[in-house]
Amino acid sequence: MYNLGQYLPADSPIHRLDPRIKILSVVALSIIILRAHGFEPALISLFLAVAAFAGRMKPRHVIDALRPLAFFLCILFFLHLFFTAGRPLLEIPPGITVTFEGLHRGLLTTWQFTALVTGASILTLTTSPSGLISGLERLLRPFSRLGIPSHDIAVMVSLALRFVPTLLEESERVRKAQIARGADFKKGNIIKRFKTVSSLVVPLALGSLRRAEELARAMEGRGYERGPRTYLRELRLAPSDYAAFVVVIVFLAGLKLL
Amino acid sequence: MIEVENLVFRYDGSANPALRDINLTIGDGEYVAVIGPNGCGKTTLLQHFNALHLPASGTVRIDGMPTSDPRHVREIRRLVGMVFQNPDNQIVGMTVEEDIAFGPENLGLPSREIGRRVEESLNAVGLRSLAERPPHTLSGGEKRLVAVAGVLAMKPRHIAFDEPTSYLDPSARKRIIEVIRNLHKEGMTVIHITHDMDEVATADRIVVMNDGRVHQTGKPVEICSGVERLKELGLGIPRATELLWKLKKRGGNLRTDILTIDGACDEITAWLRRESLIVNSGQKSSVERQDV
Repeated sequence: MYNLGQYLPADSPIHRLDPRIKILSVVALSIIILRAHGFEPALISLFLAVAAFAGRMKPRHVIDALRPLAFFLCILFFLHLFFTAGRPLLEIPPGITVTFEGLHRGLLTTWQFTALVTGASILTLTTSPSGLISGLERLLRPFSRLGIPSHDIAVMVSLALRFVPTLLEESERVRKAQIARGADFKKGNIIKRFKTVSSLVVPLALGSLRRAEELARAMEGRGYERGPRTYLRELRLAPSDYAAFVVVIVFLAGLKLL
Repeated sequence: MIEVENLVFRYDGSANPALRDINLTIGDGEYVAVIGPNGCGKTTLLQHFNALHLPASGTVRIDGMPTSDPRHVREIRRLVGMVFQNPDNQIVGMTVEEDIAFGPENLGLPSREIGRRVEESLNAVGLRSLAERPPHTLSGGEKRLVAVAGVLAMKPRHIAFDEPTSYLDPSARKRIIEVIRNLHKEGMTVIHITHDMDEVATADRIVVMNDGRVHQTGKPVEICSGVERLKELGLGIPRATELLWKLKKRGGNLRTDILTIDGACDEITAWLRRESLIVNSGQKSSVERQDV
């Protein structure tokens, strides 16, 4: 079955960390990754590897996260490799020159994307979707004075995530119903296919609207109103959370000062 | 107490009223079954109890508070729990316990109290072991029970069930009915819409609706004795009662005011004994029970 955010339930120091700390750390780390140069990539990679290991992640998980990006990463690498001016490293016959700078930029950019994806997957693999949402909600709460309704955003996002599997199930049901009535989703030219797909999208969209109406009614019936509410699990920072945050900050600051 | 007086309701853009002049009082702790053909207004009436619909004219009062007064709506929605027909469209949480917490969270209760209520509600419907499961991995019956638990966590005084057993297999059906009966035993007012006449046998009162009106109300035995009238509306009677009626039609000297299978068994064996069709009274009772 479809697994949201690929969250891997487990008991590890990283899993236990407050979602806010993890979100803020990933954001700070991402900024540093995008500005990394010199020997920094090696240290950051090491740091990510330690965090992933502590979070009970396996190399397979990172590879799975990177696989959809593989093509894009290759293009990026070769564009930098072939089209950067600088000291020539290698001459390829029809007038293309691979430069030293090109190789460096290509490797660096590829590493940056890999590191960003790895950091993000450590966050989503070790934090439950509801943990992520309550973390975001708490981080946004101070901005509610500026008109950002953090409580409503949290409810909205969690509803969207909650209904992803339900809608997938429904689309499967509609697809089978249409196949049973003779629709073929694999044959025909583009126009024909577009028509067949619309026989799937239209019932799905109409069904979702009806669903949304019933859902709104049910939420109202359970006393939902916009604005502040309380939570089953109110996030509370433990000493270990402060410690972890200090470690991240010290590491990042040290990296820049060295 | 739920009091409905001269209630008329019309959906937007519809010429005919969905509810025409309904008068009904449901006492605290009463178990009322609502039956009637599709489209007769059962669900619409039910949703008036929770201020999801407001009367076009007439009044609906919950424990004395009119639903038309916006100041009372929040409290009314807490007092009257509503279990909708399709559990898929009323489960909002990403896990079972988060869903059950949704109502108490809306009430603004402290985390600890919310946790306690989630625990109690899970126990009440027997779903402790599923607390962390995402809702789409549950069976139909379990989803209904989650919906019921979500309502219980609001600590309501009255609960309205809209066809809680439709599309369920017999064992899930039995589980839901047991939960409903337990709630009633604990003093909760239960309003239960159903098409299954076997389910209404234990209700204190049956309300028969037709075409936006209350057609008749009465004790289950009274309602089920009017077989012809129910059949005219396209409704049935409990299977046990139907069997007794058919036997009676063929000349059997039987009572027909019995609604349960067990009761019918006793009546039929007593009848057979009266007619001296059974001489040995030792074994037949169990044989009969199986046959029925």
